[in-house]
Amino acid sequence: MNNPYTMHKLDNGLQIVIEKMPDVRSAAAGFLVRTGARDEVAPQAGVSHFLEHMMFKGTAKRGWRDITIALDDLGSQYNAFTSEDRTVYYGWVRKADLEKQIEILADMLRSTLPGEEFDMEKNVVLEEIAMAKDSLEHIAFDFVQEKVFAGHPLAWPVLGYEKTVQDLSRDTMWDYFKKRYTPDNIVLVVSGQVDPAAIIDLAEKYCGSWKPGNEETRRTPPEIKGGIDSCCIDRFNQQILILTLPAVCSTDRLVESASAVATILGGDNSRFFWNIVQAGVSTRAGAYLMDYSDYGAMLLYGACQPENAEKLLDAIRRESKRICEDGVQEEEVDRVKNRRRTSLALESETPYHRLTHLMDDIEYRGGPRTVEQMLADVDAVSVQTVREYLERYPLDAAGHLASVGPRAWPTES
Amino acid sequence: MNSTVHDSLPCGIEYAALPLPKRHVVSFCLRVFAGAVDDPEEKLGLAKLVGETIDKGTERHTGRELSDAYDAIGASIDIGVGRETTTISCTVLPDHFERAVELTAEMLRTPTFPQEMFSVNVDLAQQELIALQDDPQSLADKIITRQSYGSVLGRYPLGEEATLARIKQDDLSEFWHNYYCGGRTIFSVAGAVEVSCATDTIEKHFAGFGQAEKQGRSPHPFDFNASATHQTKDLEQQQISLCWPGAEVTHSDFPAQRVMLGILSGGMSGRLFTEVREKQGLVYWVGAWNDTPRGGSLIFLGASTTPQRCDKTYATLLREVDRLADDVTQMELDRAITGILAARETRGDATRSQCMELINDLFFFGRPIPAEEKDEKIKAVGIGDIRSFFAKYPRDRISVVTLGPRALGQSDES
Repeated sequence: MNNPYTMHKLDNGLQIVIEKMPDVRSAAAGFLVRTGARDEVAPQAGVSHFLEHMMFKGTAKRGWRDITIALDDLGSQYNAFTSEDRTVYYGWVRKADLEKQIEILADMLRSTLPGEEFDMEKNVVLEEIAMAKDSLEHIAFDFVQEKVFAGHPLAWPVLGYEKTVQDLSRDTMWDYFKKRYTPDNIVLVVSGQVDPAAIIDLAEKYCGSWKPGNEETRRTPPEIKGGIDSCCIDRFNQQILILTLPAVCSTDRLVESASAVATILGGDNSRFFWNIVQAGVSTRAGAYLMDYSDYGAMLLYGACQPENAEKLLDAIRRESKRICEDGVQEEEVDRVKNRRRTSLALESETPYHRLTHLMDDIEYRGGPRTVEQMLADVDAVSVQTVREYLERYPLDAAGHLASVGPRAWPTES
Repeated sequence: MNSTVHDSLPCGIEYAALPLPKRHVVSFCLRVFAGAVDDPEEKLGLAKLVGETIDKGTERHTGRELSDAYDAIGASIDIGVGRETTTISCTVLPDHFERAVELTAEMLRTPTFPQEMFSVNVDLAQQELIALQDDPQSLADKIITRQSYGSVLGRYPLGEEATLARIKQDDLSEFWHNYYCGGRTIFSVAGAVEVSCATDTIEKHFAGFGQAEKQGRSPHPFDFNASATHQTKDLEQQQISLCWPGAEVTHSDFPAQRVMLGILSGGMSGRLFTEVREKQGLVYWVGAWNDTPRGGSLIFLGASTTPQRCDKTYATLLREVDRLADDVTQMELDRAITGILAARETRGDATRSQCMELINDLFFFGRPIPAEEKDEKIKAVGIGDIRSFFAKYPRDRISVVTLGPRALGQSDES
């Protein structure tokens, strides 16, 4: 298959990645801004996420009401999200509406951060933080980051803390915005039934005047800490256990093997499902590969009745040990590949799903991959590569154990 | 041009098939008319347990072997048990369509409900009920559903602690025997498969699937119960949920209901987002939606906010509903209509989405409805229709649930 991508860079540094999809009726466009919670300083924790909210609040051309009306006038399915290392704004529209979609998103990214909206939106963000505090899962994963990445910017939550958000000023946000939302730190990604040359013209038209910046992104990989930490919150009924172990980063050649390990251990029809959930130990148990461009972690987790916590931990440790000692079976690897083939075929149908894959590839894999390339990467996984991965990153190591719920268990001593 | 084929097979299964030859996958979906409404009153949760255990062993395969067989063809299968039906959906590469149907037929026709799997699933259901207490939004949904729909449609599919304890292994086989058959099954398929191939495959593997005559098609009527409940719970935020009766999906007023919901909550420019969140900063989450069993529907408004803002949020929700009939604008109406039409077109690029739309058409209308027909009805909604809608479906009797630290009327800000 020919490479379906067109890649281009504007003079101001803005990158453009376009994927043509000839058989669809819709198109998707998104701006990937390479900034997130790990680019913040501690007293400003949450500024990236709050800023994402403010991008909808007004530009020189549009007030907040004009922005949302313009987006809804297209019937766009749009949204934005912030993570540890990026902020994404996207819209999925009928193909005839693509230019308008790009124009609105580009305008939003030149926000004036209207002062009169700042305090009102702060209330909204504080409500979002309050909502997260009612989710045991959210609390548990934030707790893991806080402990495992202690001393590193990855330790604080993407939403920030009530106090840092409360204390944040519009001027501080403005400084952060000017430094981080420069065209050389932004990628425009477009997928669908599109003409790449026309998209490049549109990018020039709507983003060509953006002034380049000189801020260098300085990110250092975290050290993953070991130990045991528990967080006792007695208003919840379940206990969540999360065992965190070092893993490959997203550019490592063994990343697909690590992903296969996560699926074999904790996906559908997995060892955890049959030997932990279907053994009645916990309602949920899984494995999640957190693979970023400069670090990786494997999270093995489960949720259970507090009195079953020991059993759950034993079961997770037992399965981790078994996979390290005995490796995986050929059939297990084949199952992962088969399932991945179907899911890739399905995800390749819509511009929206391709957009999200492209953004992941650009950010974490060093560049976009076709569906065929993604399949080839999956096909390269074997019993041997999984063994190699497990030798490099043994899952039977002590790792870091976090326990969150009504039981103050376990303690390190 | 719509090329959907709709018919019934000798085995009793009613199907709708939409060939999409350029696609690279095939999606299929079955809905069996067997849901929580069919549970015996003293054994609530039975239909859900059947759905959870039906894939844990057949006459030919253990549960694990069955899962492995699906995996061998890269098929992922989802089974969900709801109020009125059990839904089984699957997506595969075209070459594996027949095998996926064969495995699904084996699962639905020859389940063994092994004792050890049954026991574990009862235990897991009990644990899920406890876990529900940690999910405020779902808990509020459960409470308002029960309160508003009453004892049959208001059932929580997972059941209750006491009713789960009464269920025996034999009850699963009996329920399956009574409710799982061709005559109670509707089937939709979309994607890279020819209609004749699809129907031959279904008939080949489902021939003899219990009784073939149509059953289970009657809706379960309900008497809406208007009342207010507060459940005190130690939470950061207060959950607010309220509802009142709307039009059923097949009713000529339903397109106006959809457009009205689009105006209230269709995007960030929707009334609720604008008035509750953007202008007052009262919430992060606010929304309006409808819940649509056959034979009726309820219109819901929901939000979560910190307790001191609860009364103001609640008052704003009601105010926005109450003024909508009087001051809705043509631009708002057009925007809501565009949103509905555009969503159908963009999501139409996904085969699974087309398949789900077909099964829902069969469920509600008993036939596939061409997209053009649906779109025309939405386009025809005018401001007058929105006004008449509120006259016919006023929110004069509402059901309200709040969950959190304080009851309504106790907020600091008002």
